[in-house]
Amino acid sequence: MMKSSFTSFFAGRSFLLASVLVLFGLLVPAGLRAQEKPSPEKSLVRVNATLQSYNFLRPWEKSAPTPRRGLGAVLSGNRVLVTGELIVNSTYIELEHPSTGEKTPARIVGHDYEANLAVLAPIDESSKLMDELVPLEVDTSVAPKDTVEVWQVEDNGDGVITKVDVQRAAVNQYFIDSAVFLVYQSIGSLQARANSFTLPVIKDGKLGGMLLSYNAKEQISQVLAGPIIQAFLDDLAEGEYQGFPNLGIGFEQTLDDQLRRFARIDGKEGGIFVTNVQKNSSADKAGLESGDVIMAIGGHAIDSRGNYVHPTYGKLNFSHLVRGNAKVGDKIKIAIIRNGEPQDIDVTLERKEPNDYLIDAYMFDRGPRYLIMGGLIFQELTLPYLESWGENWDTRAPFKLVHANAHPEQYEDEGREKLVFLSQVLRTPSTLGYEELNSVILSKVNGQAINNLKDLSKAFTMPDEKGIHKIEFTDFPRVIYIEDRTSRAVNQQLVQYGISQMEKLD
Amino acid sequence: MLRGVPASLFNVLFYPHEPLNDRMRNSRLSLSLAVAFVSGLLWSSMPTSTLAQKQNSESPNATPAQSVEPVVDIPPPPSEQADVSEINFGAIVRVEVDTKQPNYRVPWNIGGMGNGVGTGFLVGDNRFVTNAHVVSNNRLIYIKKTNDPRPYKARVVNVAHDCDLALLEIENSTEFKTAFSGVEPLVIGDIPKLNTTVIAVGYPIGGERISVTRGVVSRIDFRPYSHSGVDFHLTIQVDAAINPGNSGGPVLQDNKVVGVAFQGYSGAVAQNTGYMIPVPVVERFLKDTADGTYDHYVDLATQTLNVLNPAQRIALSLPNDDVGVMVTEADPAGPAGSILKTGDVLLSIDGHVIASDGFIEIEGERVNLNEIIERKFAGDMVALEIWRDGARQDLKIELERFLPYLIQANTYDKQPDFVLFAGLQFQPLDRNLMAAHNISDLQVRYFYSYYSSEGLYRERPEVIILTAVLPDSANTYLQPYVHKVIDTINGKKIRVLQDVWDALHGDFSEKGHEDFHVIRCLGEGRPLVMERATAREAHDRIMAKYNVNFDNHIEVPEILSVEGLFDDIDDDASDKDDTKEKKQEKSAKSAPEAIKSASAR
Repeated sequence: MMKSSFTSFFAGRSFLLASVLVLFGLLVPAGLRAQEKPSPEKSLVRVNATLQSYNFLRPWEKSAPTPRRGLGAVLSGNRVLVTGELIVNSTYIELEHPSTGEKTPARIVGHDYEANLAVLAPIDESSKLMDELVPLEVDTSVAPKDTVEVWQVEDNGDGVITKVDVQRAAVNQYFIDSAVFLVYQSIGSLQARANSFTLPVIKDGKLGGMLLSYNAKEQISQVLAGPIIQAFLDDLAEGEYQGFPNLGIGFEQTLDDQLRRFARIDGKEGGIFVTNVQKNSSADKAGLESGDVIMAIGGHAIDSRGNYVHPTYGKLNFSHLVRGNAKVGDKIKIAIIRNGEPQDIDVTLERKEPNDYLIDAYMFDRGPRYLIMGGLIFQELTLPYLESWGENWDTRAPFKLVHANAHPEQYEDEGREKLVFLSQVLRTPSTLGYEELNSVILSKVNGQAINNLKDLSKAFTMPDEKGIHKIEFTDFPRVIYIEDRTSRAVNQQLVQYGISQMEKLD
Repeated sequence: MLRGVPASLFNVLFYPHEPLNDRMRNSRLSLSLAVAFVSGLLWSSMPTSTLAQKQNSESPNATPAQSVEPVVDIPPPPSEQADVSEINFGAIVRVEVDTKQPNYRVPWNIGGMGNGVGTGFLVGDNRFVTNAHVVSNNRLIYIKKTNDPRPYKARVVNVAHDCDLALLEIENSTEFKTAFSGVEPLVIGDIPKLNTTVIAVGYPIGGERISVTRGVVSRIDFRPYSHSGVDFHLTIQVDAAINPGNSGGPVLQDNKVVGVAFQGYSGAVAQNTGYMIPVPVVERFLKDTADGTYDHYVDLATQTLNVLNPAQRIALSLPNDDVGVMVTEADPAGPAGSILKTGDVLLSIDGHVIASDGFIEIEGERVNLNEIIERKFAGDMVALEIWRDGARQDLKIELERFLPYLIQANTYDKQPDFVLFAGLQFQPLDRNLMAAHNISDLQVRYFYSYYSSEGLYRERPEVIILTAVLPDSANTYLQPYVHKVIDTINGKKIRVLQDVWDALHGDFSEKGHEDFHVIRCLGEGRPLVMERATAREAHDRIMAKYNVNFDNHIEVPEILSVEGLFDDIDDDASDKDDTKEKKQEKSAKSAPEAIKSASAR
């Protein structure tokens, strides 16, 4: 009976759940617990968030607000830990006492969407809502074969505890496709309660992780791991949040004997073949090159599949050595073989933010940048823009832009910070004859190279002596012209029409 | 010849493969689907296996870019030629063809055998016109007369895949003389008027004997010719029940040929809609082939933008007279490449004033300016009046064929090119390859889409793809690299298929890796490596195991014959130590800014 209502729940990345399920035979003797001891009733709060995502195809708009409900783990100092996706693009967040139902508005103290974590606090510091609650400590010791508890809260405030068994640890994606971290995979049947986001996973009364997803058919859950929570909280406690470092390499396995002999690593164990090094990444700055074979990282031997042996988790992808075990600024020794010769390379781990890339891999809590001039709509290319074309965006979105996303090197080499393109044309007196243009990449405006939207905004202040703007593209139609005076008049009309802002550059 | 979508706002003088914009791109996409859909139902009885294949490979839900005609009150057509007994049936023949379909997936196989039936008609002394698609990939052709049991063995004299026409002859001229003594060739007429009756004669499915159907001319327009998939010419839409087997047959009015039936839609898409190749296209073909060779349509290979915006006119210092279209780019491989520049404005063509929407007036009719180029032959001159740097200039351009667009054309009568080496199968990229291998790799799609418009052919006249790896212990780890674009082999830059063969069999190696064959794919950091001894041993073993009779078929690609384009590529010695400067120089040459300097032809 419960299972059927579960099938869509937990399965994907978003765990929206509104259904209220009847509980059978589960009695939680809350009164018997000592006050100091954490329990679902005493250590969780409900978190109600209202999310409003941005429209990347009509960048001046936001979509309809949607509610999202989840749980939060109470931390010391009146803080609440939730998964990042619970509060992504939020416009309003409130904390709700699990049993009294008392509510108070909350703010985000810190967040990391890659690590899928956020810390909340009541806006009103004098709020009494959390006074009676018992904070959870973080546990980083969860290991395969452990039995852990998933905590939930009933509608009436009673706690629900479900035991699941941890099977293995692995490195997997959390919320952002391109970011992978340590996860625990556990098995055990879970039942949905009213709040579906951020189900704390508890070991010995401590917060050992948080549920990322649950596959009802296989009864397997993915758990965001305690060490990542601890690293996030430590980073946050140190003041300015730095985030998790990235190495910036692509690699391939070296199972192929012929490749091993080619790279002169035959007779040795393991190693991964570096296939590309991202420009200005930690690896690039340290001098790592495509064609190097990485044999060990931080003293841990890397096998030919890219795993090392973790003392607790066993075989684990090497990325945990960078994202999880290390912090920004840490130095890490990478043993490589280059042209048959062993070498050690010291890498200082840094972090590239999404905005540091030509094309942002994700963008939350702020709308896409855009600029409208006389009905021509310019934007900076982002992955969310491409994803706005729907499920098969890689075949549906404009191919030139899809290709640029996959192969940004050419544009990076030109010195572009962002890829500015004409996304669409509104039919106006200024754009006569250009109505059907869209998805063309900009090269110059009024002779100025356009490396980001700010450049464009500046270039539009410099029409020629006849008051004409010259707009050049990398492709058809190569060059178009618009009148400054007409375009600015059109901009005025567009404001009246309801597009409140002609540009958003930050 | 007009290729591309004749969109209302942009004149496209050649097929613009890059997305001009999405609405257009989408319309082009659906258009190409529709075209391919039609091509499964070309009006010859295609071998059923082929039909099934083609239909399977296309989405049945594809809606063609065919607009619905408004219902208007039209008076009933004048019934011309009520009496069919006057038709010269003796000159209308049944064309029976045995075909061999090349196999681009397994290129050493001889391919599937099939047969089909079309129609043809006598146009001169032992000369029969039919559709190119009726006789494409033929092994044997027989011509049969109505009321004559004997099949006459025939052959193709000329074939024009770009306008779907072919000229046949009966091999034995004595046989022709006997069989067709007293038979007059059909007389070629003119473009029929809208809403007049025409009669399609042929051998469509549903019976052995000749069939006559009547219909009305409902539209005259530029349409895609689905046989090649990339060419656009004038077509005439008829509401006659034209069916497979009618292909190549004459459409008559007053006993004169007014068209050649050639394509249509399946019943599910549009009913009673057939298309015929009109007289101007047929006559152009006959005139072109009069000297025994077919020289193809010519192309200006120039993209233009309508000059409708007042700011454009001010910026270009153009008078405000609604005249002119702006050149956005002239392809360097086309005849205007060294002559027209971005920003030039075309004012007139052969004396016809070009309106700012790209239309000209010929004999009182407003037609696209491409109509002038359509009527020309290779070597003909076209006179252009242009506006450059605020002044008028007169130019003459010698027209020629434009080859790069053919990468997206269906190819016929050709054995697939390939090189097989130690189980690695290399093939040059073209439409047939894309269809056979169902490639979704982004890099390959990029080369396929932009080969022509971005001038990618200059660096890679042939884009070589690793299309398959026949599994063996020697190559088992290379399977994931199928569908990658090959950049270099053993240090040799791969520009044509022959380079693959040379690099693997000649004296080429990467420094320090002399014992290995090193294959580098574009955008892949990990080289594909095989030890030479292992590869040699594996090669024969794989040939035997996978029933491969021969390990290569290589033809020099036609595009190499374009003068002045590839002067820099046949210097193999420079490949080995390609310095950075050289690479930059090369990439600069393919960049759009360098068009001027590169066009010294």
